[in-house]
Amino acid sequence: MRDEPETDLALMKFGIGQPVPRSEDPKLLRGEGRYTDDISLSGQAYAVMVRSRHAHATIRGIDSTEARAMPGVLGVYTQADLEAAGFGPLKCPIAFPNRDGTPMKTPPRPALARDKVRFVGEAVAFIVAETAAQARDAAEAVIFDVEELPAVTDPVAALAPGAPQVHADAPGNLVLDYHYGDADAVNAAFARAAHVTRLEIVSNRVVVNAMEPRAAIGSYDPDTQRWTLHVGCQGVFGLRASLAKDVLNVPPDKVHVLTGNVGGSFGMKAPVYPEYPCLLFAARALGRPVKWTDERSESFVSDHHGRDHQRIAELALDAEGNFLAVRLTGYGNAGAFIYPPLPATINAVKNVVDVYRTPAIEVNSKIVFTNTTPIAAYRGAGRPEGNYYMERLIDTAAREMGIDRVELRRRNHIAPQAMPWKAPSGMLYDSGDFTGVLDDALKAADWQGFDKRRQESRARGRLRGRGIGSYLEVTAPPSKEMGGIRFEADGTVTMISGTLDYGQGHASPFAQVLVEKLGIPFDRLRLLQGDSDQLKAGGGTGGSRSALVAGQAFVEASAQVIERGRQIAAHILEAAAADIEFSRGRFTIAGTDRSIGILELAERLRSGMSLPPDVPSSLDVAHVSDNPPSSFPNGCHIAEVEIDPDTGAVDVVRYAMVNDFGTVINPLLVEGQAHGGVVQGIGQALMEHTVFNDEGQPLTGSYMDYALPRAVHAPDFRVQNHPVPCKSNILGIKGCGEAGCAGALPAVMNAVIDALQEHGIRHIDMPATPEKIWRALHEPREETRP
Amino acid sequence: MVALNVNGKSYDVNVDPETPLLWVLRDTIGLTGTKYGCGIAQCGACTVHLDGEAMRACIVPVSEAANRKITTIEGLAENGVLSKVQQVWLDHDVPQCGYCQSGMIMAATALLKSTPKPTDEDINAAMTNICRCGTYQQVRAAIHAAAKA
Ligand code: FES
Ligand code: FES
Repeated sequence: MRDEPETDLALMKFGIGQPVPRSEDPKLLRGEGRYTDDISLSGQAYAVMVRSRHAHATIRGIDSTEARAMPGVLGVYTQADLEAAGFGPLKCPIAFPNRDGTPMKTPPRPALARDKVRFVGEAVAFIVAETAAQARDAAEAVIFDVEELPAVTDPVAALAPGAPQVHADAPGNLVLDYHYGDADAVNAAFARAAHVTRLEIVSNRVVVNAMEPRAAIGSYDPDTQRWTLHVGCQGVFGLRASLAKDVLNVPPDKVHVLTGNVGGSFGMKAPVYPEYPCLLFAARALGRPVKWTDERSESFVSDHHGRDHQRIAELALDAEGNFLAVRLTGYGNAGAFIYPPLPATINAVKNVVDVYRTPAIEVNSKIVFTNTTPIAAYRGAGRPEGNYYMERLIDTAAREMGIDRVELRRRNHIAPQAMPWKAPSGMLYDSGDFTGVLDDALKAADWQGFDKRRQESRARGRLRGRGIGSYLEVTAPPSKEMGGIRFEADGTVTMISGTLDYGQGHASPFAQVLVEKLGIPFDRLRLLQGDSDQLKAGGGTGGSRSALVAGQAFVEASAQVIERGRQIAAHILEAAAADIEFSRGRFTIAGTDRSIGILELAERLRSGMSLPPDVPSSLDVAHVSDNPPSSFPNGCHIAEVEIDPDTGAVDVVRYAMVNDFGTVINPLLVEGQAHGGVVQGIGQALMEHTVFNDEGQPLTGSYMDYALPRAVHAPDFRVQNHPVPCKSNILGIKGCGEAGCAGALPAVMNAVIDALQEHGIRHIDMPATPEKIWRALHEPREETRP
Repeated sequence: MVALNVNGKSYDVNVDPETPLLWVLRDTIGLTGTKYGCGIAQCGACTVHLDGEAMRACIVPVSEAANRKITTIEGLAENGVLSKVQQVWLDHDVPQCGYCQSGMIMAATALLKSTPKPTDEDINAAMTNICRCGTYQQVRAAIHAAAKA
């Protein structure tokens, strides 16, 4: 009983729901973070990749004679060397059937291009030298004998007869002819619709641009025949498995993956990249660690890109504005190789349903190879565009039918009483109060006061518009996750999780769960994620899963700790285990004041007490949780923009969002995630543009040409929660990491079009750059055809 | 040999005088708190102070920094006590991945020195550092708090 008041206070300050500051920050803001390039291993050599300058070419020969003779050079290696050493190619762990049931094309990717190069930036060889500068100089001296081939960068052009062939075993460049939905039901709905709204709409290609460039250090221990890779990634357990199984063909325990701080990833750093096998190969060949850090100009072409979809989006409505069906048809650019999750497929299906009662959906996507950097996951990975298409359709339909856009949304909301709701995406929504969220957002945005603000803008010669972006997200599908709890000799408690923090700030919220469940003081709790040797399972961080799955795993693990503790405490307190109660960090004999605290108990165990054989000898658990189903975070964002008609420049001047993230463990962190997602959404909507010329050369390969949002582009956001706890996991959590993008794309673009509609402009594609808007306002237009 | 004074300590470094200061700090001296983001003065991750003024170390040849007072993120705290800007950064939970934040903090420190009470416009104009995690609102809030402190 003695520290109960203290524990109450601890719960008030550090329990679930409290705004506990991030434990990571004190290190980070002193410059003491340990990102991969901050690590140096003794005796390390440096690698530099030799990358293709051609988008498409046959490799006839590689002459590295001169490079090999240069000062400091330790080796020049090509795919032939990797293959001779038994290194396998990189594989795509995803496969959907084609519409006709046949398998999709999954050509493996050699780490280094062998017979031909398929995009600018593809690695063809690599140099290892004593210093990075020497390696860079030598890279310049490698001579390629290539025969240039015509390139294709656009998926529609790539499907046309006679187009350049990216992969010999994918004729016509078609990766996958994806189909989802009941086409007959959708066709019937469109046939009987009173109104059909149709938009040609694009989700522009985005360069991910984590501020920390990718980096890695490979090493090899000949005695244990074990490889170690220090690398920034999204989950060490999964990365180890892919490296061991696909590339090295060794049991997983022969590979050790270590990750320290990660300077952003947003989906991009998740997979095995070609550099990693190269470093492991060279480390073994040379008998010393080999380090590699990308330069930004290389990151622009070698990091996987995001988005790049083209769609025809159609919505069928009856005369009252009830949604009957929605259909997406179009293309997803795969780039030169395929990576999960193939964003234009199932993720578009999941989110296009949004918060509405549409009974029938159909998604048709042709995924196509082109001579461009591969497309993979970027914050939401195909989901934000699902919401974007739907919300743009709704605003357009409202205007065409003369129905108020708020009313049209309300009319089609799935009602709370209708939960659980079987959505046509196959998902079972457990909870949600979509009209309540919309109403809160209208209030937060002062929807009523808009006319006055518009007049003020007009008086200053500015066009003002407002846009709603409702969204419903589907967090990552269930997968196993570890929740390990270890009582250390120094009195701290280690939480072990196979998720991985790359900016989210996991240490505080995970600790908050254990403060709540085990009554362990916050400052005793440490988080361990980035060491594959310590993990029994781990799905990494992605798909907004971490708080949900780690929360569940730690709650279950806590119950096991308590069960062990009861048996041990029973022995210490000389009572029956059944009489031991656990509350707020103490094991107590029911109805007495005889008790022992959990940390004291751990201490007693460490000091070596003798226990009967049927009593557990430690409190430690290494639990693996079978994770709960996906959750359905949702919300409503409302943006207001001002446009200067003389320059076409857009300013986001007000921004309000109301989110339902279910139970929020730590509101500070959740707000940060919301800000970040929206800033990235504003970036994609208004400025980020990845351009290739006809030869496949990237034209936007530096911060001089590729615009990223900076402080001036990010307004102050008004963020509110409208929590409806999730019913399908223990803590009631719905993930929050990617929701910002999902709400921001439609909110900002609907606001831009709203501002421009009096000029007869019906749609503009992202990014709504000043030039594009100026042209729409001032030039006779084609793009506004109905 | 180039003579450098970094965070009050003297170093004689044996490097090509054209080497950008960033790499000398990180690779030669081992102060890895200053980050590389672009190498062309566009992102601000490498911001340090030269005689109290914010500079992007990726484009400063080390010879130009000789015999000037160089301050990096590691040099802001005094006797382990966080600087005012670091403290407001902590109070406002500014960092996410943290990679850009050394540069942000160095730029904000310099801004507050030249403009003790900056407006949002001053901040947006001066803080051109890129943060892909989108921490800009917290950056502004923290700078205002520092100005009031
Ligand atoms: S690294 Fe110096 S400004 Fe980007
Ligand atoms: S905190 Fe991640 S880039 Fe700024």
